[in-house]
Amino acid sequence: MSLWRLEWLRLVRTRRLLAIAGIYLFFGLTGPLTARYLSASLGRVGTEGVRIEVPPPVPADGITQFAGNANQIGLLVVVLIAASALAFDSRREMAVFLRTRVDSVRSIVLPAFTATAAAAASGLVLGSLAAWYETAVLLGGVPAGRMLLGMAYGALFLVFAVAVVAAVAGVVRGVLATAGVALAILVLLAIAGSFGTLGRWLPTSLAGAMDPLVRGASLTDHLPAAAVAAASTVALLWFAISASARREL
Amino acid sequence: MIVETTGLTKRYGAHTALDNVDLAVPAGSVFGLVGPNGAGKTTLLGVLAGLRRPTAGTVRVGVERRLMALLPDTPQFDPWLTGREVVALAASLVAPDLPPERVDEVLEQTGLAEAAGRRVGGYSRGMLQRLGLASTIVAEPRLLLLDEPASALDPAGRREVLDLITRLRGTATVILSSHILGDVQEVCDSVAVLRAGRLLYQGPLAELLVGRAVPAYRIHLRPPVGPVAEALRQHEWVSEVAGAGPDVLRITVRSLRHAEEHLPAALGAAGARVVSFGPLAPDLEDVFLELTS
Repeated sequence: MSLWRLEWLRLVRTRRLLAIAGIYLFFGLTGPLTARYLSASLGRVGTEGVRIEVPPPVPADGITQFAGNANQIGLLVVVLIAASALAFDSRREMAVFLRTRVDSVRSIVLPAFTATAAAAASGLVLGSLAAWYETAVLLGGVPAGRMLLGMAYGALFLVFAVAVVAAVAGVVRGVLATAGVALAILVLLAIAGSFGTLGRWLPTSLAGAMDPLVRGASLTDHLPAAAVAAASTVALLWFAISASARREL
Repeated sequence: MIVETTGLTKRYGAHTALDNVDLAVPAGSVFGLVGPNGAGKTTLLGVLAGLRRPTAGTVRVGVERRLMALLPDTPQFDPWLTGREVVALAASLVAPDLPPERVDEVLEQTGLAEAAGRRVGGYSRGMLQRLGLASTIVAEPRLLLLDEPASALDPAGRREVLDLITRLRGTATVILSSHILGDVQEVCDSVAVLRAGRLLYQGPLAELLVGRAVPAYRIHLRPPVGPVAEALRQHEWVSEVAGAGPDVLRITVRSLRHAEEHLPAALGAAGARVVSFGPLAPDLEDVFLELTS
Protein backbone atom coordinates (compact mmCIF):
# COMPACT_ATOMS: atom_id res chain seq x y z
CA MET A 1 0.00 0.00 0.00
CA SER A 2 1.59 3.24 -1.16
CA LEU A 3 0.34 6.77 -1.68
CA TRP A 4 0.15 6.03 -5.43
CA ARG A 5 -2.14 3.09 -4.77
CA LEU A 6 -4.11 5.22 -2.31
CA GLU A 7 -4.84 7.73 -5.10
CA TRP A 8 -5.77 4.95 -7.51
CA LEU A 9 -8.17 3.50 -4.94
CA ARG A 10 -9.59 6.99 -4.33
CA LEU A 11 -10.40 7.27 -8.04
CA VAL A 12 -11.86 3.79 -8.35
CA ARG A 13 -13.68 3.22 -5.06
CA THR A 14 -15.26 6.66 -4.87
CA ARG A 15 -16.30 6.34 -8.54
CA ARG A 16 -14.48 9.55 -9.40
CA LEU A 17 -12.85 7.81 -12.36
CA LEU A 18 -16.25 6.62 -13.52
CA ALA A 19 -17.63 10.16 -13.21
CA ILE A 20 -14.81 11.66 -15.30
CA ALA A 21 -14.94 8.94 -17.95
CA GLY A 22 -18.74 8.97 -17.97
CA ILE A 23 -19.11 12.71 -18.46
CA TYR A 24 -16.61 12.88 -21.35
CA LEU A 25 -17.98 9.73 -22.95
CA PHE A 26 -21.50 11.10 -22.70
CA PHE A 27 -20.58 14.30 -24.51
CA GLY A 28 -18.42 12.34 -26.94
CA LEU A 29 -21.43 10.24 -27.93
CA THR A 30 -24.06 12.97 -27.90
CA GLY A 31 -22.04 15.81 -29.51
CA PRO A 32 -21.86 14.46 -33.08
CA LEU A 33 -25.42 13.13 -32.75
CA THR A 34 -26.67 16.61 -31.88
CA ALA A 35 -24.73 18.15 -34.76
CA ARG A 36 -26.10 15.59 -37.20
CA TYR A 37 -29.75 16.00 -36.24
CA LEU A 38 -29.77 19.66 -35.15
CA SER A 39 -31.40 20.78 -38.37
CA ALA A 40 -34.19 18.20 -38.12
CA SER A 41 -34.79 18.99 -34.45
CA LEU A 42 -35.07 22.73 -35.06
CA GLY A 43 -37.41 22.12 -37.99
CA ARG A 44 -39.79 20.24 -35.70
CA VAL A 45 -39.97 22.94 -33.06
CA GLY A 46 -40.45 25.77 -35.62
CA THR A 47 -43.84 27.51 -35.49
CA GLU A 48 -46.11 28.17 -38.47
CA GLY A 49 -44.76 30.91 -40.68
CA VAL A 50 -41.29 30.77 -39.11
CA ARG A 51 -38.68 28.67 -40.84
CA ILE A 52 -35.32 27.99 -39.25
CA GLU A 53 -32.61 27.16 -41.72
CA VAL A 54 -29.43 25.50 -40.56
CA PRO A 55 -26.60 24.82 -42.98
CA PRO A 56 -25.93 21.13 -43.59
CA PRO A 57 -23.57 19.78 -40.91
CA VAL A 58 -19.90 19.23 -41.72
CA PRO A 59 -17.64 16.75 -39.85
CA ALA A 60 -16.04 19.53 -37.78
CA ASP A 61 -19.47 20.34 -36.28
CA GLY A 62 -19.49 17.01 -34.47
CA ILE A 63 -16.19 17.84 -32.79
CA THR A 64 -17.34 21.41 -32.04
CA GLN A 65 -20.40 20.13 -30.19
CA PHE A 66 -18.29 17.73 -28.16
CA ALA A 67 -15.55 20.25 -27.35
CA GLY A 68 -18.03 22.94 -26.27
CA ASN A 69 -19.84 20.72 -23.77
CA ALA A 70 -16.75 18.89 -22.54
CA ASN A 71 -14.89 22.15 -21.90
CA GLN A 72 -17.53 23.38 -19.50
CA ILE A 73 -19.13 20.46 -17.68
CA GLY A 74 -16.06 18.24 -17.98
CA LEU A 75 -13.80 20.92 -16.55
CA LEU A 76 -16.20 21.51 -13.66
CA VAL A 77 -16.16 17.80 -12.78
CA VAL A 78 -12.36 17.60 -13.07
CA VAL A 79 -11.85 20.63 -10.81
CA LEU A 80 -14.20 19.26 -8.15
CA ILE A 81 -12.52 15.86 -8.19
CA ALA A 82 -9.06 17.40 -8.14
CA ALA A 83 -10.00 19.59 -5.18
CA SER A 84 -11.26 16.59 -3.21
CA ALA A 85 -7.90 14.84 -3.72
CA LEU A 86 -5.55 17.82 -3.39
CA ALA A 87 -7.18 19.73 -0.51
CA PHE A 88 -5.87 17.04 1.85
CA ASP A 89 -5.60 19.46 4.78
CA SER A 90 -9.34 20.09 4.77
CA ARG A 91 -9.82 17.49 7.51
CA ARG A 92 -7.11 17.95 10.10
CA GLU A 93 -7.20 14.43 11.52
CA MET A 94 -6.83 12.86 8.08
CA ALA A 95 -4.05 15.27 7.25
CA VAL A 96 -2.23 14.39 10.48
CA PHE A 97 -2.22 10.73 9.44
CA LEU A 98 -0.39 11.50 6.19
CA ARG A 99 1.74 14.49 7.16
CA THR A 100 3.30 12.83 10.20
CA ARG A 101 4.34 9.85 8.10
CA VAL A 102 6.06 11.46 5.11
CA ASP A 103 9.37 13.26 4.90
CA SER A 104 8.02 15.89 2.53
CA VAL A 105 4.55 17.02 1.55
CA ARG A 106 5.74 16.43 -2.02
CA SER A 107 5.08 12.71 -1.42
CA ILE A 108 1.39 13.53 -0.90
CA VAL A 109 0.93 16.20 -3.57
CA LEU A 110 2.58 14.44 -6.52
CA PRO A 111 0.57 11.19 -6.44
CA ALA A 112 -2.70 13.11 -5.94
CA PHE A 113 -1.85 15.48 -8.79
CA THR A 114 -0.62 12.78 -11.15
CA ALA A 115 -3.55 10.44 -10.57
CA THR A 116 -6.16 13.16 -11.01
CA ALA A 117 -4.46 14.70 -14.04
CA ALA A 118 -4.07 11.28 -15.66
CA ALA A 119 -7.71 10.46 -15.00
CA ALA A 120 -8.82 13.80 -16.46
CA ALA A 121 -6.63 13.43 -19.55
CA SER A 122 -7.78 9.84 -20.03
CA GLY A 123 -11.40 10.90 -19.74
CA LEU A 124 -10.90 13.59 -22.37
CA VAL A 125 -9.12 11.17 -24.70
CA LEU A 126 -11.89 8.60 -24.25
CA GLY A 127 -14.59 11.17 -24.98
CA SER A 128 -12.65 12.55 -27.95
CA LEU A 129 -12.24 9.08 -29.44
CA ALA A 130 -15.97 8.47 -29.07
CA ALA A 131 -16.74 11.84 -30.67
CA TRP A 132 -14.25 11.16 -33.45
CA TYR A 133 -15.73 7.73 -34.21
CA GLU A 134 -19.31 8.91 -34.17
CA THR A 135 -18.47 11.97 -36.25
CA ALA A 136 -16.86 9.69 -38.83
CA VAL A 137 -19.96 7.47 -38.89
CA LEU A 138 -22.57 10.24 -38.99
CA LEU A 139 -20.87 13.20 -40.65
CA GLY A 140 -17.63 12.05 -42.25
CA GLY A 141 -13.96 11.90 -41.30
CA VAL A 142 -11.83 14.62 -39.67
CA PRO A 143 -8.05 14.93 -40.21
CA ALA A 144 -6.40 12.45 -37.86
CA GLY A 145 -3.24 14.45 -37.18
CA ARG A 146 -5.18 17.59 -36.29
CA MET A 147 -7.60 15.64 -34.13
CA LEU A 148 -4.76 13.99 -32.22
CA LEU A 149 -3.01 17.33 -31.73
CA GLY A 150 -6.27 18.84 -30.46
CA MET A 151 -6.65 15.97 -27.98
CA ALA A 152 -3.07 16.50 -26.78
CA TYR A 153 -3.68 20.22 -26.28
CA GLY A 154 -6.96 19.53 -24.45
CA ALA A 155 -5.22 17.01 -22.19
CA LEU A 156 -2.42 19.48 -21.50
CA PHE A 157 -4.99 22.10 -20.49
CA LEU A 158 -6.61 19.67 -18.04
CA VAL A 159 -3.20 18.90 -16.53
CA PHE A 160 -2.69 22.66 -16.14
CA ALA A 161 -6.16 23.01 -14.56
CA VAL A 162 -5.36 20.29 -12.01
CA ALA A 163 -2.09 22.09 -11.22
CA VAL A 164 -4.09 25.28 -10.61
CA VAL A 165 -6.25 23.34 -8.15
CA ALA A 166 -3.12 21.99 -6.44
CA ALA A 167 -1.70 25.50 -6.07
CA VAL A 168 -4.98 26.86 -4.69
CA ALA A 169 -5.17 23.93 -2.24
CA GLY A 170 -1.80 25.05 -0.90
CA VAL A 171 -3.37 28.31 0.16
CA VAL A 172 -7.05 27.51 0.74
CA ARG A 173 -7.98 24.67 3.09
CA GLY A 174 -11.55 23.53 2.26
CA VAL A 175 -12.50 21.35 -0.73
CA LEU A 176 -15.32 23.57 -1.99
CA ALA A 177 -13.33 26.75 -1.43
CA THR A 178 -10.41 25.24 -3.34
CA ALA A 179 -12.67 24.23 -6.24
CA GLY A 180 -14.40 27.63 -6.27
CA VAL A 181 -11.21 29.67 -6.29
CA ALA A 182 -9.61 27.42 -8.93
CA LEU A 183 -12.67 27.72 -11.18
CA ALA A 184 -12.69 31.48 -10.71
CA ILE A 185 -9.03 31.65 -11.78
CA LEU A 186 -9.68 29.49 -14.85
CA VAL A 187 -12.72 31.57 -15.85
CA LEU A 188 -10.77 34.81 -15.41
CA LEU A 189 -7.98 33.41 -17.57
CA ALA A 190 -10.51 32.47 -20.24
CA ILE A 191 -12.00 35.99 -20.14
CA ALA A 192 -8.54 37.56 -20.30
CA GLY A 193 -7.80 35.38 -23.33
CA SER A 194 -10.64 36.96 -25.28
CA PHE A 195 -8.86 40.32 -25.35
CA GLY A 196 -6.30 40.99 -28.08
CA THR A 197 -3.47 38.57 -28.72
CA LEU A 198 -3.08 37.58 -25.06
CA GLY A 199 -5.25 34.51 -25.63
CA ARG A 200 -2.56 33.03 -27.83
CA TRP A 201 -0.36 32.72 -24.73
CA LEU A 202 -2.92 31.60 -22.19
CA PRO A 203 -3.37 27.89 -21.42
CA THR A 204 -7.16 28.29 -21.45
CA SER A 205 -6.99 28.64 -25.24
CA LEU A 206 -5.90 24.98 -25.37
CA ALA A 207 -9.21 23.80 -23.93
CA GLY A 208 -11.04 24.26 -27.20
CA ALA A 209 -8.08 23.85 -29.55
CA MET A 210 -9.59 20.70 -31.07
CA ASP A 211 -12.32 22.76 -32.74
CA PRO A 212 -10.22 25.29 -34.72
CA LEU A 213 -7.65 22.62 -35.54
CA VAL A 214 -10.15 20.33 -37.28
CA ARG A 215 -11.46 23.40 -39.11
CA GLY A 216 -8.04 24.06 -40.57
CA ALA A 217 -6.35 26.50 -38.19
CA SER A 218 -2.55 26.68 -38.26
CA LEU A 219 -0.86 23.85 -36.44
CA THR A 220 1.45 26.27 -34.68
CA ASP A 221 -1.25 28.65 -33.38
CA HIS A 222 -1.43 26.98 -29.97
CA LEU A 223 2.26 26.33 -29.42
CA PRO A 224 2.86 29.44 -27.26
CA ALA A 225 -0.09 28.53 -25.00
CA ALA A 226 1.15 24.93 -24.78
CA ALA A 227 4.61 26.11 -23.72
CA VAL A 228 3.10 28.44 -21.10
CA ALA A 229 0.82 25.64 -19.84
CA ALA A 230 3.73 23.22 -19.45
CA ALA A 231 5.94 25.76 -17.68
CA SER A 232 3.06 26.99 -15.49
CA THR A 233 2.18 23.46 -14.45
CA VAL A 234 5.70 22.91 -13.12
CA ALA A 235 5.68 26.30 -11.36
CA LEU A 236 2.22 25.72 -9.87
CA LEU A 237 3.24 22.33 -8.53
CA TRP A 238 6.34 23.82 -6.96
CA PHE A 239 4.17 26.49 -5.36
CA ALA A 240 1.62 23.90 -4.18
CA ILE A 241 4.32 21.85 -2.46
CA SER A 242 6.08 24.77 -0.81
CA ALA A 243 2.81 26.42 0.31
CA SER A 244 1.48 23.17 1.77
CA ALA A 245 4.78 22.52 3.54
CA ARG A 246 4.59 25.94 5.20
CA ARG A 247 1.04 25.47 6.41
CA GLU A 248 0.50 24.47 10.04
CA LEU A 249 -2.07 21.93 11.13
CA MET B 1 15.80 13.32 27.94
CA ILE B 2 14.11 12.33 24.71
CA VAL B 3 12.14 15.57 24.41
CA GLU B 4 13.25 18.97 25.66
CA THR B 5 11.71 22.35 25.06
CA THR B 6 13.17 25.64 26.23
CA GLY B 7 11.09 28.78 26.48
CA LEU B 8 8.59 27.26 24.06
CA THR B 9 5.97 29.82 23.14
CA LYS B 10 3.19 29.55 20.59
CA ARG B 11 0.88 32.44 19.81
CA TYR B 12 -2.15 32.58 17.53
CA GLY B 13 -2.59 36.30 17.02
CA ALA B 14 -3.29 37.78 20.45
CA HIS B 15 -3.89 34.37 22.04
CA THR B 16 -0.95 32.67 23.70
CA ALA B 17 -1.45 28.92 23.46
CA LEU B 18 1.93 28.01 24.99
CA ASP B 19 3.79 30.39 27.24
CA ASN B 20 7.48 29.85 27.88
CA VAL B 21 7.22 26.09 28.40
CA ASP B 22 10.35 24.25 29.52
CA LEU B 23 9.45 20.60 29.15
CA ALA B 24 11.76 17.64 29.78
CA VAL B 25 10.52 14.15 29.03
CA PRO B 26 12.71 11.23 30.21
CA ALA B 27 13.39 8.52 27.62
CA GLY B 28 11.36 5.37 28.17
CA SER B 29 8.79 7.04 30.39
CA VAL B 30 5.04 7.20 30.10
CA PHE B 31 4.54 10.93 30.45
CA GLY B 32 1.11 12.40 31.17
CA LEU B 33 0.07 15.81 29.93
CA VAL B 34 -2.88 17.11 31.90
CA GLY B 35 -4.70 20.39 31.99
CA PRO B 36 -8.14 21.88 31.53
CA ASN B 37 -9.62 22.56 28.10
CA GLY B 38 -7.56 25.17 26.26
CA ALA B 39 -4.49 24.53 28.40
CA GLY B 40 -2.33 23.99 25.31
CA LYS B 41 -1.95 20.20 25.38
CA THR B 42 -2.91 19.60 21.74
CA THR B 43 -0.82 22.57 20.62
CA LEU B 44 2.17 21.20 22.51
CA LEU B 45 1.77 17.77 20.92
CA GLY B 46 1.39 19.44 17.50
CA VAL B 47 4.61 21.39 17.98
CA LEU B 48 6.49 18.27 19.12
CA ALA B 49 5.19 16.40 16.05
CA GLY B 50 6.40 19.18 13.76
CA LEU B 51 2.88 20.11 12.61
CA ARG B 52 3.06 23.59 14.19
CA ARG B 53 5.96 25.97 14.41
CA PRO B 54 6.89 27.60 17.71
CA THR B 55 6.63 31.38 17.89
CA ALA B 56 9.67 31.40 20.20
CA GLY B 57 11.87 28.94 22.04
CA THR B 58 13.47 25.70 21.03
CA VAL B 59 12.31 22.12 20.68
CA ARG B 60 14.66 19.16 20.74
CA VAL B 61 13.31 15.72 19.93
CA GLY B 62 15.84 12.94 20.30
CA VAL B 63 14.47 10.59 17.64
CA GLU B 64 14.19 10.71 13.88
CA ARG B 65 10.86 11.87 12.52
CA ARG B 66 10.01 8.40 11.18
CA LEU B 67 10.42 6.97 14.68
CA MET B 68 7.82 9.32 16.10
CA ALA B 69 4.05 8.90 15.76
CA LEU B 70 1.14 11.14 16.68
CA LEU B 71 -2.39 9.94 17.39
CA PRO B 72 -4.95 12.76 17.25
CA ASP B 73 -7.88 12.72 19.66
CA THR B 74 -10.48 11.90 16.98
CA PRO B 75 -8.60 9.98 14.28
CA GLN B 76 -10.21 9.97 10.84
CA PHE B 77 -9.35 8.07 7.70
CA ASP B 78 -10.57 7.84 4.13
CA PRO B 79 -13.89 6.01 4.58
CA TRP B 80 -13.43 3.87 1.46
CA LEU B 81 -10.29 2.18 2.82
CA THR B 82 -10.49 -0.96 4.92
CA GLY B 83 -9.01 -1.04 8.39
CA ARG B 84 -6.23 -3.32 7.19
CA GLU B 85 -5.40 -0.96 4.32
CA VAL B 86 -5.15 2.00 6.71
CA VAL B 87 -2.67 0.18 8.94
CA ALA B 88 -0.77 -1.18 5.92
CA LEU B 89 -0.51 2.35 4.51
CA ALA B 90 0.78 3.66 7.84
CA ALA B 91 3.35 0.87 7.95
CA SER B 92 4.50 1.31 4.36
CA LEU B 93 4.97 5.06 4.72
CA VAL B 94 7.14 4.79 7.81
CA ALA B 95 8.75 1.37 7.62
CA PRO B 96 8.30 -0.19 4.17
CA ASP B 97 10.35 -3.25 5.13
CA LEU B 98 8.03 -4.39 7.90
CA PRO B 99 6.69 -7.92 7.40
CA PRO B 100 2.99 -7.95 6.37
CA GLU B 101 2.15 -10.07 9.43
CA ARG B 102 2.92 -7.05 11.60
CA VAL B 103 -0.23 -5.37 10.29
CA ASP B 104 -2.42 -8.26 11.40
CA GLU B 105 -0.55 -8.44 14.70
CA VAL B 106 -1.43 -4.85 15.68
CA LEU B 107 -4.98 -5.24 14.41
CA GLU B 108 -5.27 -8.20 16.76
CA GLN B 109 -3.70 -6.24 19.63
CA THR B 110 -6.16 -3.40 19.21
CA GLY B 111 -9.18 -5.68 18.92
CA LEU B 112 -9.85 -4.98 15.25
CA ALA B 113 -8.93 -8.33 13.72
CA GLU B 114 -12.54 -9.18 12.83
CA ALA B 115 -13.33 -5.75 11.39
CA ALA B 116 -10.04 -5.42 9.50
CA GLY B 117 -11.58 -6.21 6.11
CA ARG B 118 -14.46 -3.76 6.52
CA ARG B 119 -14.43 -0.23 5.15
CA VAL B 120 -13.57 2.41 7.71
CA GLY B 121 -16.69 4.43 6.84
CA GLY B 122 -18.71 1.91 8.84
CA TYR B 123 -16.52 2.05 11.95
CA SER B 124 -17.76 3.48 15.25
CA ARG B 125 -15.82 6.27 16.96
CA GLY B 126 -14.29 3.77 19.36
CA MET B 127 -13.18 1.57 16.46
CA LEU B 128 -11.64 4.58 14.73
CA GLN B 129 -9.68 5.33 17.88
CA ARG B 130 -8.46 1.72 18.00
CA LEU B 131 -7.54 1.95 14.33
CA GLY B 132 -5.66 5.16 15.01
CA LEU B 133 -3.76 3.43 17.77
CA ALA B 134 -3.00 0.44 15.52
CA SER B 135 -1.65 2.81 12.84
CA THR B 136 0.40 4.60 15.46
CA ILE B 137 2.13 1.55 16.90
CA VAL B 138 2.46 -0.57 13.76
CA ALA B 139 5.95 0.69 12.85
CA GLU B 140 7.14 0.41 16.47
CA PRO B 141 7.94 4.10 16.97
CA ARG B 142 10.28 5.14 19.76
CA LEU B 143 8.24 8.20 20.64
CA LEU B 144 4.43 8.14 20.72
CA LEU B 145 2.38 11.29 21.11
CA LEU B 146 -1.14 10.26 22.09
CA ASP B 147 -3.85 12.91 22.33
CA GLU B 148 -6.69 11.58 24.49
CA PRO B 149 -6.11 7.98 23.32
CA ALA B 150 -9.00 6.46 25.28
CA SER B 151 -11.58 9.23 25.22
CA ALA B 152 -14.00 7.48 22.84
CA LEU B 153 -13.64 3.97 24.19
CA ASP B 154 -15.99 1.93 26.33
CA PRO B 155 -14.63 0.70 29.70
CA ALA B 156 -13.31 -2.56 28.22
CA GLY B 157 -11.66 -0.74 25.34
CA ARG B 158 -10.15 1.79 27.71
CA ARG B 159 -8.68 -1.00 29.79
CA GLU B 160 -7.12 -2.61 26.69
CA VAL B 161 -5.58 0.70 25.61
CA LEU B 162 -4.19 1.38 29.08
CA ASP B 163 -2.71 -2.12 29.17
CA LEU B 164 -1.20 -1.55 25.73
CA ILE B 165 0.38 1.73 26.86
CA THR B 166 1.70 0.05 29.98
CA ARG B 167 3.33 -2.65 27.84
CA LEU B 168 5.09 0.05 25.80
CA ARG B 169 6.91 1.32 28.89
CA GLY B 170 10.64 0.81 28.48
CA THR B 171 10.48 0.07 24.76
CA ALA B 172 9.11 3.46 23.75
CA THR B 173 8.49 6.84 25.27
CA VAL B 174 4.83 7.74 25.45
CA ILE B 175 3.54 11.26 25.93
CA LEU B 176 -0.19 11.17 26.44
CA SER B 177 -2.66 13.90 27.10
CA SER B 178 -5.85 12.94 28.85
CA HIS B 179 -8.79 14.41 30.69
CA ILE B 180 -9.26 11.12 32.50
CA LEU B 181 -6.96 11.74 35.43
CA GLY B 182 -7.48 8.24 36.80
CA ASP B 183 -5.96 6.86 33.59
CA VAL B 184 -3.00 9.21 33.85
CA GLN B 185 -2.45 8.25 37.48
CA GLU B 186 -2.62 4.58 36.53
CA VAL B 187 -0.23 4.45 33.58
CA CYS B 188 2.05 7.49 33.82
CA ASP B 189 5.24 7.71 35.80
CA SER B 190 5.76 11.42 35.13
CA VAL B 191 3.32 14.22 34.51
CA ALA B 192 3.20 17.81 33.37
CA VAL B 193 0.33 20.04 34.41
CA LEU B 194 -0.56 22.85 32.02
CA ARG B 195 -2.97 25.71 32.50
CA ALA B 196 -3.56 28.50 29.99
CA GLY B 197 -0.37 27.57 28.16
CA ARG B 198 1.85 27.67 31.25
CA LEU B 199 3.59 24.70 32.78
CA LEU B 200 2.55 24.52 36.43
CA TYR B 201 4.34 21.29 37.35
CA GLN B 202 6.41 18.58 35.77
CA GLY B 203 8.12 15.64 37.33
CA PRO B 204 7.52 12.18 38.73
CA LEU B 205 3.88 11.54 39.58
CA ALA B 206 4.82 10.02 42.94
CA GLU B 207 6.60 13.20 44.01
CA LEU B 208 3.63 15.31 43.00
CA LEU B 209 1.23 13.18 45.00
CA VAL B 210 3.44 12.73 48.06
CA GLY B 211 4.16 16.43 48.16
CA ARG B 212 0.45 17.18 48.20
CA ALA B 213 -0.61 14.36 50.52
CA VAL B 214 -2.85 15.49 53.36
CA PRO B 215 -3.54 13.08 56.23
CA ALA B 216 -7.24 12.43 55.89
CA TYR B 217 -9.84 9.69 56.40
CA ARG B 218 -13.06 8.82 54.64
CA ILE B 219 -15.75 7.52 56.96
CA HIS B 220 -19.05 6.01 55.80
CA LEU B 221 -21.69 6.06 58.55
CA ARG B 222 -25.30 5.12 59.17
CA PRO B 223 -27.38 8.26 59.69
CA PRO B 224 -27.59 10.51 61.56
CA VAL B 225 -24.17 11.84 60.63
CA GLY B 226 -24.41 15.39 62.03
CA PRO B 227 -23.88 14.57 65.75
CA VAL B 228 -20.85 12.40 64.91
CA ALA B 229 -19.30 15.18 62.85
CA GLU B 230 -19.87 17.62 65.68
CA ALA B 231 -18.30 15.25 68.21
CA LEU B 232 -15.21 14.70 66.04
CA ARG B 233 -14.69 18.46 65.62
CA GLN B 234 -14.13 18.73 69.40
CA HIS B 235 -10.85 16.75 69.23
CA GLU B 236 -7.68 18.80 68.99
CA TRP B 237 -6.05 16.27 66.55
CA VAL B 238 -8.89 16.81 64.04
CA SER B 239 -8.24 19.74 61.68
CA GLU B 240 -11.38 19.61 59.59
CA VAL B 241 -14.58 17.61 59.19
CA ALA B 242 -16.50 17.93 55.94
CA GLY B 243 -19.24 16.06 54.12
CA ALA B 244 -18.01 13.97 51.16
CA GLY B 245 -21.27 12.52 49.92
CA PRO B 246 -24.43 11.07 51.45
CA ASP B 247 -23.56 9.73 54.93
CA VAL B 248 -19.85 10.11 54.21
CA LEU B 249 -17.44 12.31 56.14
CA ARG B 250 -13.97 13.40 55.15
CA ILE B 251 -11.92 14.21 58.22
CA THR B 252 -8.50 15.81 58.05
CA VAL B 253 -6.22 15.03 60.94
CA ARG B 254 -2.98 16.54 62.21
CA SER B 255 -1.16 13.25 61.52
CA LEU B 256 -2.08 9.73 60.52
CA ARG B 257 -0.60 8.51 63.80
CA HIS B 258 -3.11 10.57 65.79
CA ALA B 259 -5.94 9.10 63.78
CA GLU B 260 -4.65 5.55 64.15
CA GLU B 261 -4.46 5.98 67.94
CA HIS B 262 -7.67 7.91 68.61
CA LEU B 263 -10.14 7.71 65.70
CA PRO B 264 -11.78 4.30 66.49
CA ALA B 265 -12.33 5.28 70.10
CA ALA B 266 -13.62 8.73 69.16
CA LEU B 267 -16.13 7.19 66.75
CA GLY B 268 -17.25 4.75 69.44
CA ALA B 269 -17.63 7.52 72.00
CA ALA B 270 -19.74 9.52 69.54
CA GLY B 271 -22.10 6.56 69.15
CA ALA B 272 -21.32 6.30 65.42
CA ARG B 273 -22.60 3.31 63.44
CA VAL B 274 -19.59 2.83 61.14
CA VAL B 275 -20.09 1.14 57.74
CA SER B 276 -16.47 1.60 56.66
CA PHE B 277 -13.51 3.89 57.10
CA GLY B 278 -9.97 4.22 55.83
CA PRO B 279 -7.20 6.69 55.01
CA LEU B 280 -7.53 8.75 51.86
CA ALA B 281 -4.77 8.17 49.31
CA PRO B 282 -3.57 11.30 47.52
CA ASP B 283 -5.36 11.54 44.23
CA LEU B 284 -4.24 13.24 41.01
CA GLU B 285 -7.65 14.78 40.58
CA ASP B 286 -7.38 16.60 43.92
CA VAL B 287 -3.87 17.76 43.13
CA PHE B 288 -4.91 18.80 39.63
CA LEU B 289 -7.83 20.83 40.92
CA GLU B 290 -5.63 22.43 43.56
CA LEU B 291 -2.96 23.35 40.98
CA THR B 292 -5.30 24.61 38.29
CA SER B 293 -7.93 26.38 40.38
